[in-house]
Amino acid sequence: MLDKYAANPGDRDNLPESARDAEENRCALGGAEAMQGMPNNPDCADASLPAEPGETLITLSCRINGQPVTAEVPPSRRLLTVLREEFGLTGTKRSCELGRCGACMVLIDGRPVNSCLTMAYQCEGAGITTIEGLSGGGLHPVQQAFLEEGGFQCGYCTPGMVISVVALLSENPKPAPEEVEEALSGNLCRCTGYGGIMRAVNKAIEKGVG
Amino acid sequence: MEALRDEPLWTPAVQRPRSLHEAWELKRTFGRDGVYVAGSTLLRTQWEAGTVSMPKSLIDLRGIEDLADIDEDGGGLSIGALADLSRCRRSAALGHMAPAVQEAVRCIAAPAVRNLATIGGNIASGYGDCLPALLVCDAELAVFDGKFLSRRRVEEWLADRWSGMHPQEDILTGIWLAPPAGPAGSRRIEIFRKVGRREAFTPSLVTVAIGCFIDSEGRLSGVKIAAGGGSGRPQRLDIAEAVLEGASIGKEQLASVFEAVVTQFETYGDPFATVEYKKKTAGNLIVAELWKALEGSAGKGDH
Ligand SMILES: Cc1cc2nc3c(=O)[nH]c(=O)nc-3n(C[C@H](O)[C@H](O)[C@H](O)COP(=O)(O)OP(=O)(O)OC[C@H]3O[C@@H](n4cnc5c(N)ncnc54)[C@H](O)[C@@H]3O)c2cc1C
Ligand code: FES
Ligand code: FES
Repeated sequence: MLDKYAANPGDRDNLPESARDAEENRCALGGAEAMQGMPNNPDCADASLPAEPGETLITLSCRINGQPVTAEVPPSRRLLTVLREEFGLTGTKRSCELGRCGACMVLIDGRPVNSCLTMAYQCEGAGITTIEGLSGGGLHPVQQAFLEEGGFQCGYCTPGMVISVVALLSENPKPAPEEVEEALSGNLCRCTGYGGIMRAVNKAIEKGVG
Repeated sequence: MEALRDEPLWTPAVQRPRSLHEAWELKRTFGRDGVYVAGSTLLRTQWEAGTVSMPKSLIDLRGIEDLADIDEDGGGLSIGALADLSRCRRSAALGHMAPAVQEAVRCIAAPAVRNLATIGGNIASGYGDCLPALLVCDAELAVFDGKFLSRRRVEEWLADRWSGMHPQEDILTGIWLAPPAGPAGSRRIEIFRKVGRREAFTPSLVTVAIGCFIDSEGRLSGVKIAAGGGSGRPQRLDIAEAVLEGASIGKEQLASVFEAVVTQFETYGDPFATVEYKKKTAGNLIVAELWKALEGSAGKGDH
């Protein structure tokens, strides 16, 4: 999809402006125009995941954003790649690909995991929620809090950050500051200095999200 | 135009055994071409760093029944090798039985990584941050060798692991922790500390762990001290232990403990920290933690 314009798919400067805009509309905060989890999204047919020579495929059956889906994928392909390239869910961001930045965070059966560390076979039968899945009925209250409190600048870390906050508050609606710190310790932000993010989390806590 | 991917063009096939025997047989058949996988978080790090190449096949241990349970058992605690680190972090029983191990788990990676990573994978690496803590808790490891399940002390297992002599097909099935038993009227002290290049979510440069009992007169017994860090071998520091065994801590003992740690701790230098820096860090951490524990226990009686 859009990544094909970028030498490094995470490098937005390499995107043509129209593509950057489209990416923004679709993905910043996973907002209203975010694509829903469409199985084998026809827009993404050019980015399906064919087997390389010698590779076997499995039929991955799981639920993505509430919808049952199946896909023929190599078993140890990263979930990140499957989500972005097979299902067109590019709100899940790609950055370090090492589990260190949290940009690729999704919920698997309600728990946050780094989709760059997770392989397709590990998701069989699982329920996966991406940033797009949070905003089916309008912005999720955590997204709203990020908007109101300026919890982002470039927005690249934001989908992962929001997913981690949603996971935290659904398990612990009134976390102590050190619990918030621990829950977000795997999400790095290069822009905000975390002040706006912490304000957004506190606002979501005050509003009783979770 | 194809989407550009940084992933290697092919990825390993995955075998999904349902029993220990089946997994063991698969590993024996595949040899170096097959690798056991649990959470895959360390393997991924190694593949990306290029320190280990991707195998042709992964042998997924997660389909084997009962390997992820945490059970209180005969006064002790058994933790399945496939228990993820988040469960270990939350387990009240582990916090009670082996607080140093739980603290080590808390310091590993971040919550989302811990949701995937297993305690067995941490140990099986031979250098995971849990190991120094397990060394001071007198833990035993359950290992399946293709025929039998046997329990081995962590130290013994580590010696084999680092000698390169241990059979590659061995499967770690769990950890056994006996309840710590000290002299009547004594109190258990257990500490784990990790130092990295930044405060949180960082690989360790040095880790230390201490386990001992302290009686109402401040005398120590059952002293166990261990250190590790990075990809270095976790090890007991028995010279420092001997300095403290039966002693009441004072400034002189702590100076001797520091010397003993610096002399005995075997580690390696890297571009960020020299061997001397790591030795000193281990010595300082151990002495500082003992000092804090002592100050904390001044005036306290038994538990
Ligand atoms: C971002 C990030 C940060 C990290 N930070 C830390 C850290 O601070 N401290 C730390 O110690 N580690 C850290 N790690 C490494 C890793 O997450 C942990 O060591 C984890 O516990 C490994 O468990 P796993 O289940 O993912 O192991 P895997 O990657 O699945 O396996 C690790 C090794 O053990 C073998 N293995 C796994 N299970 C068994 C078994 N039951 N029997 C025999 N062999 C087995 C595998 O063949 C492999 O060689 C980090 C990793 C990442 C990605
Ligand atoms: S891209 Fe997955 S954690 Fe950075
Ligand atoms: S807002 Fe730019 S990285 Fe967080």
